[in-house]
Amino acid sequence: MTLYDKIMALYPSLTTEDFLTVITLQNDSDNKGDYIKAWNHPTLAKPTQEQLDAVTGV
Amino acid sequence: MSSIVISGDTSGAITLAAPAVSGTNTATLPAATGTVMVSGNMPAFSAYANASQSITNATFTKLQFQTEEFDTANCFDSTTNYRFTPNVAGYYQINGAYNVGGTITGGLVSIFKNGSELKRGVWFATNFADTSVSSLVYMNGSTDYIELYAYITGSSILVGSGSNLTWFNGALVRAA
Repeated sequence: MTLYDKIMALYPSLTTEDFLTVITLQNDSDNKGDYIKAWNHPTLAKPTQEQLDAVTGV
Repeated sequence: MSSIVISGDTSGAITLAAPAVSGTNTATLPAATGTVMVSGNMPAFSAYANASQSITNATFTKLQFQTEEFDTANCFDSTTNYRFTPNVAGYYQINGAYNVGGTITGGLVSIFKNGSELKRGVWFATNFADTSVSSLVYMNGSTDYIELYAYITGSSILVGSGSNLTWFNGALVRAA
């Protein structure tokens, strides 16, 4: 699962607009993978690494 | 060839030379304070992707530009970081574009400065698209760097390659 997929599994109410405004996922093409660059959602807390790791694929 | 040599207070010298051609020409300096711009201190670069790049859905991903068309001041890194770090402070015209295929629902391209989004380009909402961004950017001539990032939604996302499709370039237009 990608980081985006895990976040959507935790917060299915997030929209495309959210990921272009209040949430920024970034990958610097440095083989370090995707990461949360910014999390400024007004009501949903930034997921912890533990929460993300707990999400399993389907 | 006639010339004027201006020596620095401590070291160095600048030579103003007339071209060895016939005729008389007048170059009028403006009544202004600033840095004279000559080709030797005006970095410019152009690079393009020579391989397709897979992009993760809904994630700003740095685009890789492995082939340089030109890099006048050797300020573009086309091997590791794919970024432009100019060595002259000033205002730069920066441009970039990419082509994408896959099962796409939308996307855009952004100029990033020092790792964060600075200017966002045009959003497209079609499958198999091209998009671009263009902006003036101030660079401090030492630590500032710029990169190009793609944000695309969909699956099996593949940014295309080629000097006409996925490219990144820039040049100094005004010294600081």
